[in-house]
This record gives sequence, C-alpha cells and structure tokens, in this order.
Amino acid sequence: MKTEILPDERALRLGRRERALAQMEAFDLDVLVLGRQANVRYISGAPQLWVAGTRPFGPICTVVRSTGEIHLNSTWDEGIPADIPHDHLYGLAWNPMTLVDVLKGIEGAAMARRVGTDALTPSFAKLLPMAFPNAELVDGELAMRAARRIKTPDEVTALRGALRVAEESLATAVAELRVGVTEQELTGLMLEAQAAGGVSTPATQDGAWVTSREHPWRAVRSGRRIEQGDLVAFSAGVLADGYVGEVGRTWPVDVDASALFDRWNALWDKLAAACRPGQPASDLLAAYEAAGEPLPPMPVAHGLGLGFDPPVVTPKLQATAEAEILEPGMVLSVTGYVWQEGVGAVFGREAVLVTPDGPEVLTSSPSPAAVGATNG
Amino acid sequence: MTAALTAVSSAADIPDLPDRARMYRESGARLRAAMADNGVDALVLLGNGNVVYATGASWPLLDAGLSHVERPIAVVLADDEHPHLFMPFREGAASASEIPSDHLHSALFLEFDEGVDHFARALSELIRPGATVAVDELTGAMRRAANRLFPGGAPVDAAPIVGAAKLVKTPDQIACIRKACRITEKAVVDVQKALAPGVRQIDLSAQFVRRAFELGATANMLEAIWQVMPTSKAEGTWTTHGDLALPLLTTERELAAGDVLWTDVSITYTGFCSDFGRTWLVGETPSARQQDQFRQWRHILDAVLKVTKAGATSGDLARAAIAANGGQKPWLPHFYLGHGIGTNAAEMPMIGTDLGEEFDDNFVFPAGMVLVLEPVVWEDGTGGYRSEEIVVITKDGYVPLTDYPYAPYED
Repeated sequence: MKTEILPDERALRLGRRERALAQMEAFDLDVLVLGRQANVRYISGAPQLWVAGTRPFGPICTVVRSTGEIHLNSTWDEGIPADIPHDHLYGLAWNPMTLVDVLKGIEGAAMARRVGTDALTPSFAKLLPMAFPNAELVDGELAMRAARRIKTPDEVTALRGALRVAEESLATAVAELRVGVTEQELTGLMLEAQAAGGVSTPATQDGAWVTSREHPWRAVRSGRRIEQGDLVAFSAGVLADGYVGEVGRTWPVDVDASALFDRWNALWDKLAAACRPGQPASDLLAAYEAAGEPLPPMPVAHGLGLGFDPPVVTPKLQATAEAEILEPGMVLSVTGYVWQEGVGAVFGREAVLVTPDGPEVLTSSPSPAAVGATNG
Repeated sequence: MTAALTAVSSAADIPDLPDRARMYRESGARLRAAMADNGVDALVLLGNGNVVYATGASWPLLDAGLSHVERPIAVVLADDEHPHLFMPFREGAASASEIPSDHLHSALFLEFDEGVDHFARALSELIRPGATVAVDELTGAMRRAANRLFPGGAPVDAAPIVGAAKLVKTPDQIACIRKACRITEKAVVDVQKALAPGVRQIDLSAQFVRRAFELGATANMLEAIWQVMPTSKAEGTWTTHGDLALPLLTTERELAAGDVLWTDVSITYTGFCSDFGRTWLVGETPSARQQDQFRQWRHILDAVLKVTKAGATSGDLARAAIAANGGQKPWLPHFYLGHGIGTNAAEMPMIGTDLGEEFDDNFVFPAGMVLVLEPVVWEDGTGGYRSEEIVVITKDGYVPLTDYPYAPYED
C-alpha cells in the first residue's frame, strides 16, 4: 500500500536520464528547458499533480548536459529524488520574470550555445534569451521524443502496472453491463475503479458508450439506457506512476454479433503481425486494407509511455508512418475497429511491446470472442 | 475595451442551463472584439482551454501527456463570425457543435513536420497575406516551419487577447460554471458522508469521480486533493518558502480520527470549470481553537466580500484581507488570495502573487468577472482553515455561486 509520495525508483530514473542525456548530445543541446508534464517526469522522476489537458509552456524543469544537474519547479520536496537538492528547487510563480531570474542563476545558463525547449510561446521566445544570452533557442522535443521512443525494462514494468489498473477498471464496468444501465453509470464505475486502483487516476475519461448502428463511428451519448441488441464499447485509460495504460473492449448485450467479432479478430491478427521490429509503422495502416476494413477516424496506433510517445499512426501522417521503423522496446497502443450497419461497432485496443522476436501483447482483458458470447 | 453583450447583476440573470447557441455567438463576439482591440487579424489556438472558449467544443480532456498530440486546433478570423475547428476524433465522444460544417475540419498533428505541412496549406487558404497573426503555443515542428506558417512575420502571443475576452463571463458561461459547481457539490455530499477513520484518501477520489460523471460532468480536471494537514508548520513538508505545502498528492493513506483535511476538486461542465474547497475534520467535531480558525477565515472572507464589486482592484481585496488578518497575508506565498475561473480552473486575475502590488492595483474588476476566493488561516495545533468561495462580480457587489455548508465547522 502506497501511503507516501515517493520519487520513481532509482534504476527507472537513471535509465531514462541516461537516454535523455545521450539524445541531448546527439542533438547538440547544451540545455533542455522542459514544460510538458511527461518530459518533466521523464527527466526528474518526481511525481506531479495530475491536471487534465494541455498547459501553456513554462520552464518547469531544466537540465544542463555538461553537469547533468536538474533544476525543478516544485515548492516542496515531497516525491523529489535526493539527486535534485533543495537549492535546485524553485517554487510556483505567476510572474514569468521570476522564472527567468531562476534560469539566469543556473550554472551553465550564461555560456550555453544551444538551448532546446519542448514547446514555446511567443512571450517565452522573447524572455528566454535573457536567461541564455549566448544561446540559439531550438526545438528540444525531438530529442525528448527520441529518448522516450524506446522503453527501458524498468519503464515496461511501470507500464504493465498502469495496464493492470486499466484492465481491472474495464472489467469492473463490464461486470455491470446489462439492459437498463446508462452509459454514464458505466463510465462512472470505470473511473471510480481507475482512481481506486492505487496512486492512479483516469487519463482519458472516455468511458463506455453504445456504438451506433446507423453511423460508422458517431456516438450519440443521449444518456439513454442500454438496450437489448446494443454493442457497448469500453475504453479505459489510466495514469499510474506517471505511465499511461490503455485498453479497449466491446461487449454485446443479449445479441449474437459473432460475425462482426470474427471480422475484428481477423483484423487484429494482421495488426498484431505488423508490430515487428524492422517493419514500418505504416504496416499498421496497411493491415486494415489487407483485412478489407476501412480505416477508423482515430489513429490506428500510438506509442505508450509517459503519455503519447512516437509513433502516431494515422493516414494523416502517412509519410511519417512509412519512415518510422519499429524497434524492440517500443510499446504501442493499437486500435482495431470494425463496423456493420444495423449491428454496431466492435472497438478493441491492446498494448503491444515490440520485442526482437515479434509482438508481445501486454493486455489480456477477456473478449466476447467465442461465437455467440453475450452479456446481459 | 471589450464590452459584455449581456450582464449579470443578480442570480436571477443566470439561466438554469446555458443556451449553447447564444454562448457560442457571444463568446465569438467577445473574442473578435478583443482581436480588434489588439489589431490582430487571426488567432491560431492550440491550448485546450482557449479552443473550448473560441469554439464551444467540449470533450473529456486527456491526460497532460496525451493532450498535446491529439488536440483540437482553432483558427479565429477577425472578419468571420465562425471559427475554424480542426477536431481529432475520440471514440465515444459526442460531436454537438454550433460550428457550420464548412468550418469543421479533420484532426491536425502539429507535433509532426508532416502535420504542420498540412496546416501550412490550410492556413494559407484561411489567412490573407500580411495579416497580423497571434498564436498561443508553438510546437517544435511549427517552429521549424515558422516561415511557411506565418509568412507575414513572427506571430504575437495570443494569451493576452484570449485572456481579455475571457475576463468577463456571459450569463450562459456563468450558468456553465454554476452547473459545474452544482455537480461537484452534489458529488461531494456523498464523499463527505463517507469520511471516517480508516477510509483511504484514494477512496474519496474514486467516489468523487464516479458521482461527478454520473451527475453529468464532462471531464475531471484535477487529481482530487484530500491533504492531511500537519500539526505544525515545522512538522510539515519542507518548502522553498518555509510556509505550508499545498497541494500534496493523494495516496492510499488511511485517514485517522482528528485528521484535518484541506480538500480541492474541479470538474468541467460543457467546458467550464468548477472549483471546490472545504476544510474537513475526520471523525470528530472541531475544538474551540479549530472553530476559532474557521471564524477567523469567515471574518477575512467577509472583509474581502465587503469591498468586492465592479471597479474594485485586486489590490483592494488583498489589502482588505491583510487588514482583517492582523497585517499578515492570509494566503500561501506560492498561491493567491483568489483567482478567476472559466475554461481553465485558474485564470486571470491572480490576486496577491509575485506579479506585484502595482499589477494588483491596476487590475480593475469588470462586472461579470468570476472570482474564486480562497483565504487561508493557520495556527499550529489546529490544522488551520481553508475554503473556496466563487462569486460573480456585479456593479454593486457580487452574486455567490458556491452553495455548500461548512460542516463540521459551525457557521
């Protein structure tokens, strides 16, 4: 039972930092100034309050390559690893000039030649040169993305933990699926389990919905009660120990939709086969074509880690996906989606670890795969 | 100055539920007025809270680590009453929108060079050459393609423009905030009933999020806070300023009789946030000293509310609070006496921060602004007292939005 907020384990922390410092060298960055929650966690190993949605760029965490020193925006030391000493912590501030003054005082700031930031606002584009007077400001997100792309073994362990909470929350909601329950009630049950699964929190908040029998993907969300014949989709996304675990399933309510589930299974076989090292990520798009299924409107896959990691596989980024070669240590969240007019959709999402020997599916939530399986 | 199209002067002016079509029209008009005031022809918005404001779209917000990749993008033009919205598809998300279909576009992926290429082509068809463009965030890929995205020169910061529009809330926006507060308060009633020795902090979070979604919340905005306060500042967590730490994260810690909890939760309803904070006591009734803490907090709040009205400044409220607290600031050094609220849980103005007294004295409250007041009082040995009260600023005073008792403290 976790009753204390602790920093990430030493091996996890240092393994990530080593990867990040290597990429700073590869991208010739003297300093990284990070504002994105996932990047900050990756470098610092310090848990932060979970807040939904994007946030404007601000200098939350600064890494100097030559010294490896980390300066972190935290008013307290709870959960801060000992390798970030008190004099490297600076409190919450509302005046950007307060933050610029902190950055000015960091050893190595004055002489830095190339400073990477993971995003930027027009205002900080003007202010940061005051702290880094000799530096060119460049994109630092590419370096972080390259570091985060491949998971260390400790990261895979952390991801398994997040997936376990996600799968348990999905099972909790599926267990209550019956005629008369509402989408909101099922969603509430799932989110409740996600918050009670440890020091974990809902990360995607999609919940449960009745798939449409009239439209390939448009959800109605009318608040109506589940009826006999519905295909009900469940999408669980959980943040635990900083890592995002996602799993999706669809369950039929007192109806035989086995033909559609068979189509999903046939699609999934092709999607899983695409998750092999050396293959381009675009094979996941090709898998839909090979299965004779239209591509769904959501990305077919994205990396899992501290939030989204590369690649993001969508026809909108076809050339990017073709150039993205899968490597061992990547973890993908892969979505299979099939629809039949008059029946509904089968949505399923699995987490897949790319290993030297091929795909290892990390999720194991039961599916109504057996012919005729129904719920209700 | 951006004028309110309609103003709230009493609770009767706030509709029970928002008229979403009217809210969309009035938000758009406020935004375009702020653009005109700042000489900006086009806004490119990436921030979730800004896109919600500009387009009326609302969705269950994603984790911070996910949200920058799969995010809606808005382009607002000064001479077009409708914004353009590039909306990613989330499975299961309903897609109600006031935006005409020729202004609705499929998702953009601005983290990637290929995605930015698509965007550069789209922007070149929307924004005339030589236009003044404002943007709230630049991704790395956008920075690499800046010359193609913004051929007229470096964009200005959109944050102050959107901030000016957001400052005064329309009656429908206030209805959204009030509805978000009602959902929150109703969910919290059950959580407070469950409060007992042996209950874990995460159990409170779990119960809250379930009830909030059952009651119609669009999104949970914040990992719920149920912070157990230390017996003294000296025994509390180390901080950069030596004062109290807040907010500390929720764990599986079991609550014990006598624990004093400072609570803080927030959800959205159609894109607008609630903010809830109360001090609770586990399994006991407040001691005389603890009751005095509450009375002191109440005294400070009353003193602040006495000067709260349109035309007052942040500085006026800060001075009233300090005077009522015997010359000491009744808020934590890293926070504020109060803050605005809207599509973000904390918006301008922030009162009493490192932005400085001059900033506070120059920040004049307009009618229709919504403010969260959260004074803090502390005496070692009591667990202190902190609660949050949301008010709408009116010409003559304020309209309270928060409606939740102070139990177990006696009002």
